[in-house]
Amino acid sequence: MLYERYDVNASADLTSFEFESKGPKGTIQKVVRYTEINVKGYYNLGFGDKDPYTGLISDLTVTNNNDSKKVLATVAATLYVFTNNYLDATIFATGSTAARTRLYRIGISNNLAQIEKNFLIFGLGKDRWEPFRINVNYIAFLVRRKS
Amino acid sequence: MKPKKQIKPAKLKLPKGFSIDKTLNGKYDDQPFFKDKTERANRILKTVGLPKL
Repeated sequence: MLYERYDVNASADLTSFEFESKGPKGTIQKVVRYTEINVKGYYNLGFGDKDPYTGLISDLTVTNNNDSKKVLATVAATLYVFTNNYLDATIFATGSTAARTRLYRIGISNNLAQIEKNFLIFGLGKDRWEPFRINVNYIAFLVRRKS
Repeated sequence: MKPKKQIKPAKLKLPKGFSIDKTLNGKYDDQPFFKDKTERANRILKTVGLPKL
């Protein structure tokens, strides 16, 4: 990934990450967390903003800090770090809204060649997984490091 | 085949701009957001199954 990205703090087990988005809307704390789900070796990628007053994480807010590419590049960097250390992990990701999922899809599409150098990537269509293709309206994604 | 274990912190090599912050250990374990996302992931995968990797 060639885009500029933010500095990141990571938990010792490399499952939780924090960074700060800086822009016209001020400083927004972002959190990324990989949590294992019911399928062994599968992890959900959760990503959202931390409310400065409540401390709660949410991905329903639209920050508009003019740094979406930098933010996505930073999230992508955490994926590399996580999968560098959890070599057999498969990562599941989807947005809380269709718009959010579309944003992720566009980010993947714009960097697909780079991503596919290191990862297998699948998109979920109506009812089945398929290798990711550009311009297909997927509802979720699965990513795994190539062996 | 067992998943490969996490490399111990002493051997970790992090990219530039990444640093370990031990205050993050377990910090977000109880966040409803991550629990909700995990449950949703479980529902989806239970419904559609897994791809052949």
